[in-house]
Amino acid sequence: MKTAFLLFLAATAQAARFSVESMKYTVISGKGEPISKPLSPSAQPSSETITIRQDDTLKLSFQINDKISKQAVQPAQTFLRFYDEQSGEEGIQPIRVTSSGKVKFELNMAKPPLSLPPTSNSPLKVTLLLGSPSYTPEKLDLFSLHIPASHSAPSHPDEANFHLLPEIAHSFRPEPRLPPRAVSTLFAGAVLVIPWLVLTGLWFSISPRVPRLFSPNILPFTASLGAFEFLLYRYWVELKLGDVLTYGAILGLVTVFTGRHALASIANQRLGQK
Amino acid sequence: MGSKSPSGLIAKGYTVTLRAPKDEQPLLIQDGLPNFSHVTLLASDNKHFAKDITPQSLVELLTLGTNLMLTVGPKQNLLTSLAPEFSLLLPPPATPLVSFFPERSDPANVVSIDIKSKPTPNDTFSVFSAAVEGNIWFSGTPFALGSNPLLFPILSAPAESFAADLTDAPGLVSDALVEASEKGGEGLWAGSSLAVVAGFQTLIGGGTGHGADSGPGEDKQARVVWVGGSSLFSDEFANKKVVEKVKDEQGLKVVEKPSANKQAALDIAAWAFQERGVLRIDSVSHRKVNTTGTPEMYTTNDEIIYNVKISSFNPINRKWEPYSAIKDLQLEFTMLDPHVRTALPAVRSIPGTYSTRFRAPDRHGVFKFVINHKRKGFTHLHHTATVPVVPPRHDGYARFLSAAWPYYAAGDAREEKKSKKE
Repeated sequence: MKTAFLLFLAATAQAARFSVESMKYTVISGKGEPISKPLSPSAQPSSETITIRQDDTLKLSFQINDKISKQAVQPAQTFLRFYDEQSGEEGIQPIRVTSSGKVKFELNMAKPPLSLPPTSNSPLKVTLLLGSPSYTPEKLDLFSLHIPASHSAPSHPDEANFHLLPEIAHSFRPEPRLPPRAVSTLFAGAVLVIPWLVLTGLWFSISPRVPRLFSPNILPFTASLGAFEFLLYRYWVELKLGDVLTYGAILGLVTVFTGRHALASIANQRLGQK
Repeated sequence: MGSKSPSGLIAKGYTVTLRAPKDEQPLLIQDGLPNFSHVTLLASDNKHFAKDITPQSLVELLTLGTNLMLTVGPKQNLLTSLAPEFSLLLPPPATPLVSFFPERSDPANVVSIDIKSKPTPNDTFSVFSAAVEGNIWFSGTPFALGSNPLLFPILSAPAESFAADLTDAPGLVSDALVEASEKGGEGLWAGSSLAVVAGFQTLIGGGTGHGADSGPGEDKQARVVWVGGSSLFSDEFANKKVVEKVKDEQGLKVVEKPSANKQAALDIAAWAFQERGVLRIDSVSHRKVNTTGTPEMYTTNDEIIYNVKISSFNPINRKWEPYSAIKDLQLEFTMLDPHVRTALPAVRSIPGTYSTRFRAPDRHGVFKFVINHKRKGFTHLHHTATVPVVPPRHDGYARFLSAAWPYYAAGDAREEKKSKKE
């Protein structure tokens, strides 16, 4: 009869209001004294900050009454909302209200409730949501809660493909190291100059005469030998083997004739001298 | 769909065919070909449907490239059994989304959702256009979203809302919620992680619904939109005013605003029917620096230039237009694993073109240029091109190394001596 009357009352009163009373929290740590403090929740952002460590327990208790009749109320919705403003992760924990309107909530970090969202170093904003038919809903900001960071939320193996992936740069093998150019130049110079010095020295000691080297009969032969040298250089720089063989064959033919001519002219001269 | 939304769709140029849930004709799939470009199931309260409407036929429609818009209702039917296949976790039957917030004269299961309360799936894309302003009326079933990355929320439930059957006394409801949450897993459906409208982009499908001009073969994907209740599209909610208390100089003032349902319904349909967020790769080219034409193979350490042209579909003139707004396009050069992953920025002077330059790794083998751009809300872009990377040929190495100068000189001196002796 009494509940029926209350229901009737609740229905007629346009918007009954909740009143949250004697709210307090207690932090019980593994060692040391429990810390207890009363809270006066309101819709305004709360500056209260609570830090709990791995072996701590947070206890929260309060009483829900009707604001006017002062009777105990059991709202349909009594939720604690844990919200990480940084990551947007949210956890909602419905809490049990006894028929006398008393609420007790315990957060034991050794055994955290499943509703607690994955956390980072940023605090969780804890809000109390009260709602029931024919009551004005209440959203009360309780406190900011610092709790130990958890593992990040498990994600789908393909999830990473839906975001910007880290860049990958290939690590190249180091460039082969070259000795300083000056050293190379020095040795190249030495290799070039010393044999020439020896050669010219010996040349002058025996002073041979090559009177016909630049005669028109001999010069084509020496030039074709020079052309062979040039062809081998071109081969090394850019030509392919096929090209070299073709040019080499043509040059060889030319050299045979120029060589024969040069030899014949030398023989003529020798015979003519005799 | 209320009479308003079809008229909105017709105004956009769609040809709408209405079919009652138990009508046998027209068939969804006839002779193995889909009869429609897009299919919307609005009869969410129905338990039984005509025999060609089955979960299998709906999935087949998707593989054939037909976009779907599906509404689940409070009762168990084929859609509630199909939803888990799309990673949607539905609350038990007959537990609609309810919210006591904000205080209003409507029943708790008619919820007004502020679209600005939850950020969009990514920074660059929102299913709702800027024309959607204010609150959306919703009445129906919320769903929790699994971790499947193909699925993303289009409209999230308010943070204060939850799924419950409020017909019991408040105390019993409260106890049932506590017990549900103690069960763990998906015992409790509450908060803004729930969605009331969710989109799903398939990996494969027949086409974008834009005919033969829909881009290269494997890039075609279909879309599914899941809606928690068909009332979102109803004329009743489209015309229902949103009452807000606004603070001004005289204190609180009650303001009536039109609801955003009509525009939201059109925008949801626009995403589902591939009007928005539809991209395709037009062409891909790659070449060596300082050359023209695509080579058959690259040599290790070559400097490579890679270009891609991307366009998006413009539903207004029904044409594909160059699209330069992708900020986070990446190119991978892979042989089994990516050896190089680099940003592919848009070229400012040529619309729709993205280009990058990188050095081929000093590993030889068969490499692939890979673009795999997946972002929630957009068509997935996927393209691969295979190229061999070979070591330099015998004559491809550098000549006249400084370290070898003495050897060249020695060779020269020897040759000279030889020729002098002659």
